[in-house]
Amino acid sequence: MSAKVELCGVTKRFGAFEAVSEVSLEIAAGEFLTLLGPSGCGKTTLLRLIAGFEQPTSGTIWLGGVEVTHLPPYRRPVNQVFQSYALFPHLSVWENVAFGLRMQRVPAAEVTDRVRQALELVSLAGFDARRPQELSGGQKQRVALARALVCRPQVLLLDEPLSALDAKLRQAMQLELKRLQRQVGITFVYVTHDQEEALTMSDRIAIVNRGRIEQFGSPHEIYHRPATAFAADFIGQANLLDTRLIAADGSGARVRLAGGLELVLRAAAWPAGVETALVSIRPEKVHVSKSKSRAQSTFAEGETNMFEARIEEEVFKGATDHLILATVAGTRLSAVVANESALGEIFHAGDRVFCGLHADDLVVLRVN
Amino acid sequence: MKSPKLSPYVLGAVLALAAPVALRAAGELNLFGWSEYVPQTVIDGFTKQTGIKVNFETYSSNEEMISKLVAGGGRYDLVQPSDYAAEAMIRQKLLAPLDTAKLTHLKNLMPEFVRRPHDPEGRFTVPYMSGTVGIVVNTEKVKTPVKGYRDVFQPRFKDRIVVLNDSREIVTWALYSLGLPINAIDAGSLANARPLVASWVKLVKVFDSDSPKTPLLNGDVDLGIVWSGEAAILWNQNKKFQYVIPAEGAHQYIDVLAIPAGAKNKAEAHQFINFILRPEVSKLVSAAFPYTNPNAAARKLLTAAELANPASYPAGGKLETFRDIGKVAADIDRLVTDLKSAQ
Amino acid sequence: MTAGKEAGPPVTDRRTAGWRAWALLAPMLAWLMLFIVVPTAVLLVYSFCERDELGRVVYTFTWDNYQRAFDPIYVRIFGRSIGYATLTAAICIVAGFPVACYIGRAREELRDRLLLLVMVPFWTSFLIRTYAWITILKQEGLLNAVLRSLPFGAGPLDLLYTPVAVMIGLVYAYLPFMILPIYGSVEKLDGALIEAAHDLGAGPLRVFSSVIIPLTLPGIAAGTLLVFVPSIAMFAITDLMGGARVPLIGNVIQNQFTQARDWPFGAALGVVFMALFAVTYWILLRFREREEAAG
Repeated sequence: MSAKVELCGVTKRFGAFEAVSEVSLEIAAGEFLTLLGPSGCGKTTLLRLIAGFEQPTSGTIWLGGVEVTHLPPYRRPVNQVFQSYALFPHLSVWENVAFGLRMQRVPAAEVTDRVRQALELVSLAGFDARRPQELSGGQKQRVALARALVCRPQVLLLDEPLSALDAKLRQAMQLELKRLQRQVGITFVYVTHDQEEALTMSDRIAIVNRGRIEQFGSPHEIYHRPATAFAADFIGQANLLDTRLIAADGSGARVRLAGGLELVLRAAAWPAGVETALVSIRPEKVHVSKSKSRAQSTFAEGETNMFEARIEEEVFKGATDHLILATVAGTRLSAVVANESALGEIFHAGDRVFCGLHADDLVVLRVN
Repeated sequence: MKSPKLSPYVLGAVLALAAPVALRAAGELNLFGWSEYVPQTVIDGFTKQTGIKVNFETYSSNEEMISKLVAGGGRYDLVQPSDYAAEAMIRQKLLAPLDTAKLTHLKNLMPEFVRRPHDPEGRFTVPYMSGTVGIVVNTEKVKTPVKGYRDVFQPRFKDRIVVLNDSREIVTWALYSLGLPINAIDAGSLANARPLVASWVKLVKVFDSDSPKTPLLNGDVDLGIVWSGEAAILWNQNKKFQYVIPAEGAHQYIDVLAIPAGAKNKAEAHQFINFILRPEVSKLVSAAFPYTNPNAAARKLLTAAELANPASYPAGGKLETFRDIGKVAADIDRLVTDLKSAQ
Repeated sequence: MTAGKEAGPPVTDRRTAGWRAWALLAPMLAWLMLFIVVPTAVLLVYSFCERDELGRVVYTFTWDNYQRAFDPIYVRIFGRSIGYATLTAAICIVAGFPVACYIGRAREELRDRLLLLVMVPFWTSFLIRTYAWITILKQEGLLNAVLRSLPFGAGPLDLLYTPVAVMIGLVYAYLPFMILPIYGSVEKLDGALIEAAHDLGAGPLRVFSSVIIPLTLPGIAAGTLLVFVPSIAMFAITDLMGGARVPLIGNVIQNQFTQARDWPFGAALGVVFMALFAVTYWILLRFREREEAAG
C-alpha cells in the first residue's frame, strides 16, 4: 500500500534561520519523488518534517489523507533510510531488520518470514548473523533498505542513501533502487544533491533552493524547460543570457541576446508586458556545422534560427566536443556536439561555422 | 590538619637560615608530638631562650608514633606518648632513662601525676598534660541527674548518645559498671561485659573519637562519654554542657614527655622538658589546650575561669590509668566490632 | 615466531622494536611496580605475619589472620559492605544516567559548562565536602531549617548518623564517577540511531531500553566499577556521616591499621578483599567471552 504525501504551506524555522519557507507539495501515491538541491537548501529538513523528526513552525503535513503534522515519528506509517545507514551496531543483520516488526509486536513466525523475504529482496540472504561492522558499505545500504521496507511503510524516505558509496556501486544501486520501487510499489521520497541520480531514478523532481521549491516536474520537464536560472544551472549546463524583446507578432517574438545576436522564439513563451528576461539555451541544442546546407537540413523550415559564428575554443571529450562560439553579432555561446561517427566533422579553434537553434529551445526563465 | 603540621617546618627552615652560626652551634631538637597539643608560642620561646632549633613533627595516635619511631631509628629526640604506650615502650627498651639532675623544675609537678604504674619509679617519663574520660550532659535537654555509665545508657536516651569510637574505652566502661578490674582483662571478664556492651551499642547514635563535641554542639545528641579536653571546650562555649566523672570510676590518661633510646640530642631534650616544667610555660599550654595541668606551680598562675572548668579540673573521683594489655586488645576490638555489626 | 627463528635479519629488527617498546613502557611499568606490585606484595607478606605487643609486625608464618577473616563476623560485614556498594552504584546509575544523557546531547558550549559543574566538587577537599553535608543534615542544620519554614510545617528529619545519611554521602561522593563514563558513551552515541529506532516504531521507552541502554552499556559498566570498588572500601563517610555505628569493611580494615594495632589482620582482610574483586572480574570476563563466542 502506498500513500500520497501533502505538504500545505509548511514553514520551519530554527531560531532566526528559516530552513523551509511556505512549501506546498503534493507527492502522488506510488511515485518516486526526488528532492534535489545543494547542501543547506532545506531538502533534508523537508524529509525530516515528513518523517516526524521535526515539527513545522506552521503549515500541515498529510499522509494518505490523514493529518500527521504533530504525530511523533513512531506513529507515522513512514520509514527512512539514513545517510549514515544508522544500523544498530549491537544487533545482527537479522535483528536489525526485525527491529521494526518487534516494535509493532508482529508474531514471531511472521517476523521470521518477513525478515527472510526482506533480506532476499535486497539479495542479502545468508547474512543474518553478521554484525553491521562486518559489512561493506553497499551491504550496509541494503540492510538499511531491508530494515525500512520490512515494515511495509506507505512512504519510504531516503536521505542521500548512496552518497557514501563509490561511483560504480552508486550507479548499480540507482538502478536497483528504481527496480525495488517498482516492485514494492510504495511512494519513495528521495533526497539528493546529485542531479544525475535525480534524473536517473525519479518520476518527478522537486528542485529545492533556499527553503523553497524552485520547480516541480518530471525529469524531462526539468531538464528541457527549466523554470528558473537556478534550475537551469543546477541541472546540466546552460547558456544564461540577458535578453531584450525587439518585436513581436502573432507567431514569433524577435529578441536580442546579450552581445547582440538576434533570434526568434515563440511568442507565447515571452511573458506579457516584459521588456527584458533571462533566457536559457542548453549547449547541446545548438547545432553546429561547417556546411550551411547541412546545418539547415536538420530542422524544419521556418522554426530554426540560423547564425554564423567562429570557434574560439574547442575541447575534445571523447563522446562529445565542447565548443565556445563567438557569433558574428558578438554573442558568446557554448555548444556541445556529439561525436557520432569518426567520419563526422572535425572542429578546430578558429573555424567558421554555421549554427542552428530551434525556437523552442530558447527557454525564458522566471525571475524570483 | 595540614597547615599546623607544615608551619613548624617552614618556621624551622626560616630560623635555620636566619640564625647566626653561634646559635646553630647551640644544637637542635627533633620533637615528635601530638597534633594540636604543643603551642607554637612555646616552641618559639624555647628557641629564643636557648638558641636550640626545634624540628617539630606531629602524629595523631600513639600507634603512629611508635611505628614511625621504630622505623626512623634515631630521628626523634623527644616524644609524647600516652601512659600505656609509654609503659609498653619502656618494656620494649625504646626509651632512655632521664637524667633527673638536669630537670630542675621537676618539683613543680603534683605528686598524684608522677610514679604512676606506667613508670613506677619516674625514671623514664615526665607528665605533660592529663585528662579523663567522662560524661558530658546537655543540661537543657537532660533534666534527670546523670552520675554514672548506667545513667547514660538508658533506653530513653536511645539515639541521643555520642561515645568515643574506641573499643577499649567502651569495654572499660562496662567493666567499671560490673565492678571488674579494667587493666586485668581476660576471656572471663570480656564474656561478662559482652551483654552490657551489646545493649549499650544499640543506644548510641554517634561513635567519634576525633571530635565528639560536634554532634553535641549540633544538637544531634544530648549526652555522651568523651575526652575531658572536648568537654572543657564545650563548657567554655556554653555552660549547659556539664562534665561528670562517672561514679563507677573513670579512665585517666597522662600524656608524658620521654626521650627515645636512640635520641641524638639528649641534652637538648632534657632542656626542653625542663622548659615545659616552668610554671609560666606550662600555663601557656593550659591556655591553648584546656586539659588537666599536672604542674602545681603553673596552676597557681591560671585564671579563676580556667580552674573553674569542671572538665579540666574535675572534683575528684576514682581515676585509673590504662595499662598495656598486649594481645587482649585484639579480642576487645573483635568483640566491639561484632556487637556493632550485629545491630 | 618460528619464521623469525629461521631468518636472521627479522629477528634483529624485531628485537630492536621490542627494546624500544620496553623503553617507552618503562615509566608506566616502574609506576605500576612501585605503587601497585610492591605494596600488594608487602600486604601479602604482612597478612601471614603476627603482631607483637606494640603492634609491630613480626615476621612469622601463620594462617590465623585468614582464619579470622572468614569468621562469620567479618563475612557478615563483607556482605553488608557489598550491599551498600551495590545500592550506591544502583542509585548512581539511576541518578547519573539522565544527567549524563542531557550533558551528552547538549550544545557544545553548554556541555562544557555542565561538565565543569560535574567536576567542580573535586576542587575542594573531600573531607570539607563531607563536613558540608553534616552542616546540611544535622538536626539544627540547613535542611531542617528549610523544612521548618515550609507552610505545612514538616517535622525535623533525623537524618545525620543514619544509614540514609551514609547513602547520601556515598552517592554524592561517587556520582561524578558514574556520570563521566556514561557521558563518554552517550556522546559517542550516533543520534541517527535514536532517530532510526523512533522511525521503526519504537516509543521513547523502547528506544531507551533497546537502543540507548545497550549502546551505553560500556559506560554504565565502567561507571559501576568506578563507583562500586571505592564505595565498598569507603570508611570516612561511614565514620563522619554514619556516626561509625555500623562498621563496613573499610572501617574494619582502617581500624586494624590504627586503633586495633593489628596490621597483619588488616592486611589479610585487604588481601581477601582484593581476591574477591579479582575473582568477580575474572568471572565477568569469562562470562562476556562466552557470550561473544555464542553470539
